[in-house]
Amino acid sequence: MNGYAGKILRINLTDRKTSTIDTRDYEQWVGGHGMGSAIFWDLVKDKTISGFHPDNVVTIMTSPLSGTLVPGASARTEVQGIGVQSSPIEWFTRSNFGGRFAPMLKYAGWDGIVIEGKADKPVWIDIRNEEVKVKEAQHLWGLDTWKTQEEIWREVSGRGYDKWVELDSEQRTTQRPAVLTIGPAGENLARIACLIHDAGNASGQGGFGGIWGSKNLKAISVIGMGGIQIADPKGLMEARLWAQVKYGTDLKNLDASWFSKFGRKKPQNRFWDPHESARLQACIGCHLGCKERTNTGFGNESTCHETTFYTAYDKSKHGGRQTSATYIATDLLQKYGINAYEASRGLTYIRALQRMGIFGSGKRLNCDLDFRKLGEIEFANEFLKMIAYRRGIGDDFAEGFFRAAKKWSRLEEDLKTGILPYSYWGLPEHGYDPRAEVEWGYGSILGDRDINEHDFNFLFWWPSGAIWAGKTPQPPAGQVVKIIAEKLIPYENNPLMLDFSTDNIYSEHMAKLVAWHRHYTRFWKESVLYCDHRWPEFINSKVPGYSGITGEGEPRFFDVVTGKKFSFLDGMELGRKIWNLDNAVWTLQGRHRDMVHFSDYIYHLPYGGSGNYAMYHLPGREKGRWDYIRVNGRYLDKTKFEEFKTRFYNLEGWDSRSGWPKRKTLESLGLKFVADELEKNKKLGAG
Amino acid sequence: MGAGVGGVFQKLIWVDNAIAAIPASEGYLLVDTKKCQGCLSCMLACSLVHEGIENLSLARIQVLQNSFEKFPDDLTVAQCRQCVEPPCVEACPEKALYVDKKNGNIRIVDIKKCIGCKSCIQACPYDPGRALWNPDKKKALKCDLCSNAPFWSEKGGVKGKQACVEVCPLKAIQFTKKIPEQKGDTGYRVNLRGEGWKKLGYPVD
Repeated sequence: MNGYAGKILRINLTDRKTSTIDTRDYEQWVGGHGMGSAIFWDLVKDKTISGFHPDNVVTIMTSPLSGTLVPGASARTEVQGIGVQSSPIEWFTRSNFGGRFAPMLKYAGWDGIVIEGKADKPVWIDIRNEEVKVKEAQHLWGLDTWKTQEEIWREVSGRGYDKWVELDSEQRTTQRPAVLTIGPAGENLARIACLIHDAGNASGQGGFGGIWGSKNLKAISVIGMGGIQIADPKGLMEARLWAQVKYGTDLKNLDASWFSKFGRKKPQNRFWDPHESARLQACIGCHLGCKERTNTGFGNESTCHETTFYTAYDKSKHGGRQTSATYIATDLLQKYGINAYEASRGLTYIRALQRMGIFGSGKRLNCDLDFRKLGEIEFANEFLKMIAYRRGIGDDFAEGFFRAAKKWSRLEEDLKTGILPYSYWGLPEHGYDPRAEVEWGYGSILGDRDINEHDFNFLFWWPSGAIWAGKTPQPPAGQVVKIIAEKLIPYENNPLMLDFSTDNIYSEHMAKLVAWHRHYTRFWKESVLYCDHRWPEFINSKVPGYSGITGEGEPRFFDVVTGKKFSFLDGMELGRKIWNLDNAVWTLQGRHRDMVHFSDYIYHLPYGGSGNYAMYHLPGREKGRWDYIRVNGRYLDKTKFEEFKTRFYNLEGWDSRSGWPKRKTLESLGLKFVADELEKNKKLGAG
Repeated sequence: MGAGVGGVFQKLIWVDNAIAAIPASEGYLLVDTKKCQGCLSCMLACSLVHEGIENLSLARIQVLQNSFEKFPDDLTVAQCRQCVEPPCVEACPEKALYVDKKNGNIRIVDIKKCIGCKSCIQACPYDPGRALWNPDKKKALKCDLCSNAPFWSEKGGVKGKQACVEVCPLKAIQFTKKIPEQKGDTGYRVNLRGEGWKKLGYPVD
């Protein structure tokens, strides 16, 4: 099985027994999410249980490309199971993270890990190649995520990592074990707790940290010294160099990469003021890092949203100057293991309530946080500790701020005014508002979580950035949508799918864009595990004609590693199948189209957008002409959104009255067993 | 004993089955540890082109890093030095680790002769040791500057390309024909950061 280790590790924490699943049993799903969904389907008989129920199964999956030289596809690990963060139903959900875990798991001889049951006492799992031990974790329980990893590293090596570490006389490595762990937030069953790996890689959404806590699982450590078979080694090396040279960043001519996702001119994905001195840092196998390690050690490996968590408060407190508080607050998120979106949106929310005079010391919502210290390290630490240890009203925060608002009897009002920016499924809005960038919002509400899939998001950043700088975005919108449309197989050559004008956002064209996005991400990004930061790439300024690597790159790498003949379209079709399987799980959990709705503010409050986002541009047609149009000032029309849902369900072959899958559609995808189960539960769509 | 090369004395050891002064390698790998992004692509490429599989433990170049450490002490690169006085060559009782005169005097393992005694691995004075162990084949391995990379279409060796150099996305590994200073690490550590690096916002000094 080229690209595969050949077996999946199954661990029942209740009796601490391990067994194996033959990867071939699930090979038709390829890897990652597809395999995870199929295993979850088979092992969790009652899909309506809570995420905290011991019978909930957590899958931690790799892909055939994990641990290989495929650029931006070697290091993601896909985590799935019933989550605990969303509301009103704890959806079956997913989250993935980078770093070293997936490659190390493959080198150890495993394509994935399936966690079942609940240990009676805290445990950690020690994987050294084939050898797997469930060990007592009393000495680790209570440690933060960084200390836990360092402690495990010490325990595994026995003497540091400056020379070869020998597990026996034959097996040697210079690498530290890859450890995935929870911090205090997870131990205390926070619904907003993450799994953390190395300094800054997190499986953040879904509350898997709290789920591990409920299972008394502190950490999984894996060190692998084996190899992965490659079908065509020469072809892989050739493809890697082809991609790097043609599409990658050229350090000698950075300006040529002025636009690219695969090979960006500015690869670092951090939003705080940079350190004086740092290195660019990458996940295993990546051709272009997005993280950094710094000369102070603060902020190591953190990226994206968590780097914005405290910056504004810090600067505001310190006369516009950023201090180390910004970095340290982010490190605290990582150490306690707390979801950065919940922490940042939650802090904004309680700040608003405090200003309204109902939150604070001695107020109706009593809280001892001293807001005069907001911006100082002390405040950040107190706030995050309240969540991690459920101190005082932090007991409510740990439930997620949506549930907190509900408990405080504020939910309805605060979703109406929008001071609680939780737009879908009781989850914090990402920053790309559903009223503006509709594909993001639609994908989230039709799925299980804030999608956090940036496939089309560059259509906001790129033109808007140019406009903010007083420039005219190049190339023009008409040319850009044409290049992208060519790659949107099987709906190719329909640029109207990329028309974000208000007249078009409820159309069949937009439904196709959302469907394409669901299918592409379910397969290529969440099953094959191409990284969201580097894939897909539609546009590349280095290439004559601007056409990026997407379309050709994904299957080329897949084929040289696995030896299969798998086209881009094959992947899209398998993505559709996986998406249908997921929707069947949600249906069994209780989903109906009547509950598929955004929060109130999305339907009546015009989207303003703060800061630069007040100039939110996307491609669209105005009076028949393509341009980068401004989409601020609009809200979604609830009736038209209902019509959109009908179009989307029809396009997917689902029952438009319920949103439930139809037998015909499921059987055409080879999912007869799913149709049978839905029918048994009286949840099969009509028609 | 031996003749001076580059100011370094050599010993009498086996070279191509004949006793002679050991000639210096005509090629060396230099690294910029401050530029390295820790992606291990060099290790993956090395294992891939030599063994046809992805296996970090079989990579002739090793990158060691610590997620929590401060830059620049968070990472180091351990590449074979192609020593002017190679203890691994001296230690091999079977002359399996030899100086390949036909390929630029690269210090190389003849797999057919290697008996798997690990003498070379023990002899390498550096940490981590640069000679490797293949537990499946029970043979020693070491960097050959890609002169024998059966799973690569390119010609390797001192007159060709090296997979780690080619694959490094940040160009943090360099091939040179000039003998590096043998004392300490400084000869093998170079600054490969230029204007492009500065433009990325990172120190070049």
